[in-house]
Amino acid sequence: MLAAYLQYWKINLLTMVEYRTDFFMWLGFTIVYHGTALAALAVTMMRFPSMNGWNLREMFFLYALWMTAHELHNALFYNVVYVPEYIREGRFDRFFVRPFDTLFQVLTVPSRTFPDGFILGCVTLAIATAAAGIHVTALTILVMAAVVCGGAGIDLGISLFVASLSFWLIRVDTLRWAVMSLEQDFTRYPISIYTRAVRVVLAYVLPFAFMNYFPASYLLGKHDTAFGLSPEVGLLTPLIGLLWSGISYVFWRIGLNRYQGTGS
Amino acid sequence: MTAFAPYIEYARKAFAREATYRIELLAEIGSVVLRVYLLRSLWTALYAHNMAPMGLPLHAMITYATVAMLMSLVLEVDGTRVIREKLREGGIALDLMKPIVVPFAYFSDGLGQTMVHALAILPSLLFSLLLVHIDVPSAATLAAFLLSFALGYGVNFFVNFLMNGVAFWTLETFGLQLIVRWISDLLSGQILPLAFFPGWFGRAVFALPFAAIYSTPLLIYIGIIPPRQWATALVVQAAWLVATASASFLLWRAAARHVVVQGG
Repeated sequence: MLAAYLQYWKINLLTMVEYRTDFFMWLGFTIVYHGTALAALAVTMMRFPSMNGWNLREMFFLYALWMTAHELHNALFYNVVYVPEYIREGRFDRFFVRPFDTLFQVLTVPSRTFPDGFILGCVTLAIATAAAGIHVTALTILVMAAVVCGGAGIDLGISLFVASLSFWLIRVDTLRWAVMSLEQDFTRYPISIYTRAVRVVLAYVLPFAFMNYFPASYLLGKHDTAFGLSPEVGLLTPLIGLLWSGISYVFWRIGLNRYQGTGS
Repeated sequence: MTAFAPYIEYARKAFAREATYRIELLAEIGSVVLRVYLLRSLWTALYAHNMAPMGLPLHAMITYATVAMLMSLVLEVDGTRVIREKLREGGIALDLMKPIVVPFAYFSDGLGQTMVHALAILPSLLFSLLLVHIDVPSAATLAAFLLSFALGYGVNFFVNFLMNGVAFWTLETFGLQLIVRWISDLLSGQILPLAFFPGWFGRAVFALPFAAIYSTPLLIYIGIIPPRQWATALVVQAAWLVATASASFLLWRAAARHVVVQGG
């Protein structure tokens, strides 16, 4: 399985070299997307230097942490979003006749996935770390790497959960889109600006706050004013990522069994 | 009157086509309400911890952002997407043979689509009023705002037209279009008032066509542009409308010839 996976990435990277213009176009795309978001943030914070006690540099770090995790998810697991389409168009069944795990096969459908966003995310995170004045040690690097992986796991867990719903429902596009925009818009700011119910959702139901708010609070040495939790909560991110993707995988298997049951 | 009949029919057809996507429309309303909640949280937090900027108290800021959100329901509809689709599928050749002015037909089609989304404004507004308080200006201001909004709609249409028109030469314009959309969102004053941009850049953004789309109508609405400056503001918008429409016309003439050459 590992050999097959390495082969998949080899093909991906060869495609990337082959379609260089495509790669640079997508890179330009990603730069403008995150660039406009960060520009809007910078302009706002020049007029309003404090967002519930977070300054521009800290907000930049908050964004960079989410961005890197999210882009890692996009590089490795983006194919999950195609599952509803495969099912609807009857192209899903081909995965059953091959001797690999279904999810593994979904993740390795060649689709010109370039890791451009993730590379950009790492660069942005490095700049943001320096800008925020975080004292960098081997330990902080380790923590950040673990948080980014955990964040990608949270992302995977949620997108896999939504995709699995398509074993029961015909159209999940609207739901997926709603969850995605909830993530993109609401992770930009410290969750302390929201009302209690929304904070609870972002921390415990769809735990996007663990992608950036809690770990950023820990790394920046800030107090959590949303729940008054101890800053070390931010270190739980990898665990939560594992938990969420694990639960979603179980849910995926249940859906898969049901699908096979009615399909044959 | 009969000269307009085909165009009215185009608009009606587009309305009927777009109106079949009911779930999408509901999702759109939901998304607006969610983002109104987000902007309330954001600006309330920013105003609570910082000095309010000159002439823009919190209630005016929230009014600005909420009205911008409602405007986006109409302005984010890309009525000229049809050009790109017709080009890819070849339908454009048939349209060019019909006894109609094709850009007018597409404008009518776009208008029909827009009307469906305009219907979503009222429920979105009602739900938004549960979350935020919006200032209501005098009848005269409201009339000036609507006139300005109509001019902005025109500018937006032709900016989109120009973007989609590029497809005559490159066929793939989706990436370019998204990039222009993101930049336009930022520079049109949809996300934040343009006065927040610092220094010379802050003055330069007012000189771009994007400002005619969101910024001018919104500044009239919240009273930053006082009645004695309405005429100037509207004339500037009208000038942008003429400029973008002329550019579209030139592009269309060049493009139509291009199609004939390729086909022959």
